[in-house]
Amino acid sequence: MTKAFAVARWEYLEKVKSKAFLIGLFLTPVIMIAMGVLPGFFAAQSDSTSRTLAVLAKDNSIAPVLAERLQSSYTLPSGLPNYVVMPLIASPAMDVKVLEAQAVQRLEAGEFEGFIVLTPGDSVVEYRSKVVGDFEISSRIRETLHGILAEERVRELGLDEDILSKLHVPLDVRIVKIEDEGKDGGGFEKVFISAYVFLMMLFLLIMTSGQMLVRSMIEEKSNRIVEVLVSSCSPTDLMVGKVLGLSGLGLTQMAFWAAIGIAVSAKFNISVVDPAQAGLLILYFILGYLFYAAVFIGAGAPFNTEQEAQQVTSYLVLFLVLPIVLAIPAMKDPGAPWIKVLSFVPLLTPTMMALRIPILMPEWWEILLSTVIMVVSIYFGMIAAGRIFRIGVLSTGKTPGFKEILRWIRTG
Amino acid sequence: MLTVQDLVKRFSSVVAVNGVTFTVNAGEIFGLLGPNGAGKTTTIRMILHILEPDGGSILYNGSPFTEATRNVLGYLPEERGLYKKSRVMDTLVYFGELRGLTRTAARERAHLWLKRLELSGQENRKVEEFSKGNQQKIQFIASVLHDPSLIILDEPFSGLDPVNQLLFKDILLDMKQDGKAIILSTHQMDQAERLSDTLCLINRGAVVLGGAVRDVKQRYGKNTLHVEFDGDGGFMEHLPGVQRTLLYERSAELELETGAMTRTVIDAINPRVELRKVELLEPSLHSIFLQVVGDPADGQGEAAQ
Repeated sequence: MTKAFAVARWEYLEKVKSKAFLIGLFLTPVIMIAMGVLPGFFAAQSDSTSRTLAVLAKDNSIAPVLAERLQSSYTLPSGLPNYVVMPLIASPAMDVKVLEAQAVQRLEAGEFEGFIVLTPGDSVVEYRSKVVGDFEISSRIRETLHGILAEERVRELGLDEDILSKLHVPLDVRIVKIEDEGKDGGGFEKVFISAYVFLMMLFLLIMTSGQMLVRSMIEEKSNRIVEVLVSSCSPTDLMVGKVLGLSGLGLTQMAFWAAIGIAVSAKFNISVVDPAQAGLLILYFILGYLFYAAVFIGAGAPFNTEQEAQQVTSYLVLFLVLPIVLAIPAMKDPGAPWIKVLSFVPLLTPTMMALRIPILMPEWWEILLSTVIMVVSIYFGMIAAGRIFRIGVLSTGKTPGFKEILRWIRTG
Repeated sequence: MLTVQDLVKRFSSVVAVNGVTFTVNAGEIFGLLGPNGAGKTTTIRMILHILEPDGGSILYNGSPFTEATRNVLGYLPEERGLYKKSRVMDTLVYFGELRGLTRTAARERAHLWLKRLELSGQENRKVEEFSKGNQQKIQFIASVLHDPSLIILDEPFSGLDPVNQLLFKDILLDMKQDGKAIILSTHQMDQAERLSDTLCLINRGAVVLGGAVRDVKQRYGKNTLHVEFDGDGGFMEHLPGVQRTLLYERSAELELETGAMTRTVIDAINPRVELRKVELLEPSLHSIFLQVVGDPADGQGEAAQ
């Protein structure tokens, strides 16, 4: 076993020092944060500085009120108003068109970034700006204007000022309610993001280390180092060493990412996962990692070039990607039978479970059964991989067919 | 040190090694010769326990292979290969460890060997930064670092300049003096002839010639005229009384037919080229190789490599 540890140590240290590993180590969290955290972050805080707008109208009836309301109703987290609004009122003799033309010039000059055009008696309100993708502002204009118009009607009908104030309350409530819904959405996002982040992490971890394993095996094969290795220590020592070294590599990566994850989630005050879930996720991480290590060894050993090996390993990637594709349907209905069934397919178990755990904790028997299936699969996977490795790693002629490889596994 | 008995290895339908038998003694350089595809590499792989034989036995100091045997074997494969991105010292320590050395011992020995092969002070450079010849030296160190008692060297001289060939030769002779058993697998017949004490010529999976180099050559007797000359020697391909000619740019080996007169042959050559040297000797190992392996046209191609 000392030789297996020597192999493990070598595999670990040489790969930890490699550029590919370092790049993956730092780049992956960056991508992950960019993908998972930033959209939510931006959605929550659409504006960070006040935006200057104008309200343009033929008369004084509504525009100043709208301007005042828009300015006072929405504030930034810093306490400053979200919108600074200036009313532009046409003099009685002035044509609105001229005023509009002036407003466009002032907008071009950068005095404000958009203006609202009110036409009395018309139900169409225009918002003109260079940036028209902002749905938030249109809904806010609608809400505010709706309130003002309602109050106006109340006054026109000569109703009590009390009724007016009473009417005012439900309008406010309605705005709050939308924000409540938004919070619900945030909850959904959080589950989605944490499930996604774990899936992506598992996927990237297995992919990068699996490919590293295959690449190093093929390198050793093509320059015949493997002959020296196999004559120096038994193929079992060699394989165990490789798996151990690579697992160490995976754990290093995981620990590093987890530290970043904890730091990031502490910073933004989001709890991605609770500790009980984390324990289970780590279990599936390790099981998945070991199983895929065996699969990658078996899949990579018979080939002589990286290209050939990649044709096979890219199919393995499909198995890893599948749960990512299934994330959204699983989110909608985490208890669906087909999701449960897929959780017991060894190639899918770790990722399916990583997907399910943050959404809805699987039942205890499912966890137990899937763990047993994984352990048994790892055991037989390692034996089969060892047999393929022993023969495949020395075969340099033509690539063996599937039948030939099956024969290797059977005869050992 | 090593006894190989009736070794057989089959690959699906092909019999790669068919009943090979030989013995390698301590303190001896053993030339394992044969054309490409003769079964040399397969034999070596079975000795190194990389491949399992289908039949026969391999004994190391009289005992069958155990895990401990790995630590007394040293192997320099024909294809050169090291981890390109790794540092020299790390690589050497790793290979030493795999053959049972402790890390400290491996490091100490690596320093000594690097010094001997004139690579001191380069321990922390990456392998890929070295020239091919120096990479070969590093690989050689990796194969002998653990002081193996049976060393298998596959084409150790290819790719080395004459100075380094000499350096390697000295090391081999020192190791022989130390009582190591060295198997030298090569196509370079002149190297094999100069270095080997014993040889074993394998063709089509079987031993076709074996024994002490001196005995083997004597078996062929002094029937070969070694000629050195200036001029066009093309006509020597077909001379009466000569059954086989090995013609080079300025020299030739003429194997005489039984009963042919040396003088007749010399008289036939003398008027047509400027003779520098004529000697009646045993055939060279090269010539013997070609005779035994057969088809000279094919054999010449092999030997020229």
